[in-house]
Amino acid sequence: MGEVMTAQGRSLPAEDTADLREIGFRSLDFSELALRVEDELGDELNFDAPGLRRIATVGDVLDFIEQLQSA
Amino acid sequence: MSEAPRSEAPSAVPPASVVLVSGGSRGLGLAIVTDLLAAGLKVAAFARTVTPELTALGEKYPDHLHYGSVDVNDSAAGQAFVRDVENALGPIDALVNNAAIGQDSLHVHTSAEHLAEIIQTNLTSPLILTRFVLRRMLAKGLKGRIVNITSICAQRGYPGLVAYSATKGGMDAATRSLARELGGRILANAVAPGFFASEMSAVLGQTQLDQIVRRTPTGHLTEPEDVLPVVRMLLLENTNLNGQVLVIDGAASI
Ligand SMILES: NC(=O)c1ccc[n+]([C@@H]2O[C@H](COP(=O)([O-])OP(=O)(O)OC[C@H]3O[C@@H](n4cnc5c(N)ncnc54)[C@H](OP(=O)(O)O)[C@@H]3O)[C@@H](O)[C@H]2O)c1
Repeated sequence: MGEVMTAQGRSLPAEDTADLREIGFRSLDFSELALRVEDELGDELNFDAPGLRRIATVGDVLDFIEQLQSA
Repeated sequence: MSEAPRSEAPSAVPPASVVLVSGGSRGLGLAIVTDLLAAGLKVAAFARTVTPELTALGEKYPDHLHYGSVDVNDSAAGQAFVRDVENALGPIDALVNNAAIGQDSLHVHTSAEHLAEIIQTNLTSPLILTRFVLRRMLAKGLKGRIVNITSICAQRGYPGLVAYSATKGGMDAATRSLARELGGRILANAVAPGFFASEMSAVLGQTQLDQIVRRTPTGHLTEPEDVLPVVRMLLLENTNLNGQVLVIDGAASI
């Protein structure tokens, strides 16, 4: 997540509770993150949008990615 | 092969009398089936799962409704159902392509298999069913009507609906070419509703629904009841409407 933000000249806040809207992390940024994780895993992690809509904080992003990886 | 100019206008296409509705088990399809039965038409309906609502209609209209469990993607089963309908109700002279599956996933995160399934269900299978029903109609010398239920997504962009929108746009385009190809013997039109509450749109969050309502001049989402009179008109009235896509969305997209 830090890499995605750094690539855009921004930085990842330390707290998991940080609001994604406030730090400017949009759904396409989430897509980029998921695709980077896919690259590392060498496998596709497809998912529906409703799950995405529930993501509001940095912690939610990390949980969601973890969930996808273990699914 | 080009058509020779006609010296006299072809006679009008009569009102539909036996209508096949795909996906008639719930949502808009069920509402269309109910409405056409109430208007005195004979109706055939299928879906993968027959619902209690459809069964209840069958009990209420035993001579006018024929229904069954058919997957639109199983063309052999679809064709067998069409033959059963002909035996039970008489020749089909109208088809409402309503069955479809929705989508709620960003294009990059939609698996290739899911994408193919959406295209198969919403575009390829309806075209195959249309082809079969048309062959039966033409072989019997019938005139008839086709109504394709498409969507505002065919004309406006919505995130999470890339493949779905492509199929609906495909059906709109097919509607125009069908109207040309069928030379006025069969009227082909499409009805493109805006979002309405159903199992398909249940994936939309309340925020999105509120946003659609706010942007709609008539101030409300499209209801299946808004769509019914338009479908009925296309099936029954003489309007010279052919090859058109009628958008029913309260001007949300204008
Ligand atoms: N809801 C909206 O906001 C909206 C907006 C614009 C346009 N539309 C269009 O309106 C039409 C009806 O939508 P709806 O909202 O009423 O949807 P719905 O409540 O999900 O109903 C869809 C119907 O199609 C059937 N169906 C789906 N896949 C099928 C298959 N493989 N074989 C046979 N039947 C199948 C379903 O039954 P089974 O699942 O049991 O097969 C059901 O009867 C669709 O063409 C949709 O694209 C909907």
